[in-house]
Amino acid sequence: MFLLSFVPDAVLHLVVVGILFTGVGIYALSFFTRFIPPLIPYSGIVRIVGTVLIVCGIYFYGSYSTEMSWRNKVAELEEKVKISEAKSKTANVEIQTVYRDKVKVVKETQVVIQERIKEVEKRIDSQCTIDTEVIKILNDAAARKVK
Amino acid sequence: MKLLLIVLVLLFTGCSTPVKRSFPDVPEELKVACPDLIVQQQTTKLSEVISVVVGNYGQYQECQIKVDTWIEWHKQQKQIFESVK
Repeated sequence: MFLLSFVPDAVLHLVVVGILFTGVGIYALSFFTRFIPPLIPYSGIVRIVGTVLIVCGIYFYGSYSTEMSWRNKVAELEEKVKISEAKSKTANVEIQTVYRDKVKVVKETQVVIQERIKEVEKRIDSQCTIDTEVIKILNDAAARKVK
Repeated sequence: MKLLLIVLVLLFTGCSTPVKRSFPDVPEELKVACPDLIVQQQTTKLSEVISVVVGNYGQYQECQIKVDTWIEWHKQQKQIFESVK
């Protein structure tokens, strides 16, 4: 059945219908052979061949329908995947925009706060002197222990 | 034996799914790791210490936004992925 997926739909349909109608044709022909004396001995064989082809044709037609049903399901799924990929890209653009906007707000706030520090720099520096141990403690806390 | 192997390969290739799905892309900004915290240079000035602390707060907030965005990205992509059945 897997190998059938390489055969185009139209060719498959043509082959299946061809077998079925050839079978019907040969079977019908078997009735006329009895009127043609040289063909009378072959009448039974022709009928058997016709019957076998009809049975095979019906069987193949069933297989063809199943194959088509699977191909339709695959096409449907491929369409859904295509839509989901488009949705995924749109979602990414939206997420990226929201992320950039939020980061921009944080950076702008940083600038404002750094400006505020500069404004009161002299006043707070005159009121407080930082011990060197404080810097060490701060840096130890900021250092990344696990990579 | 060789024939059996060929038949098995043919049979198992029939089990492969014909519909391929690719893993969704992640925005480039989210792939960048959060930076280390800023280290304070030796100083006695409180304004310089505050400046570094504020800078680190900013970095943390940026990183927080990044993690929140990752969570949102995963939630949305999962929803989109599961909608295809």
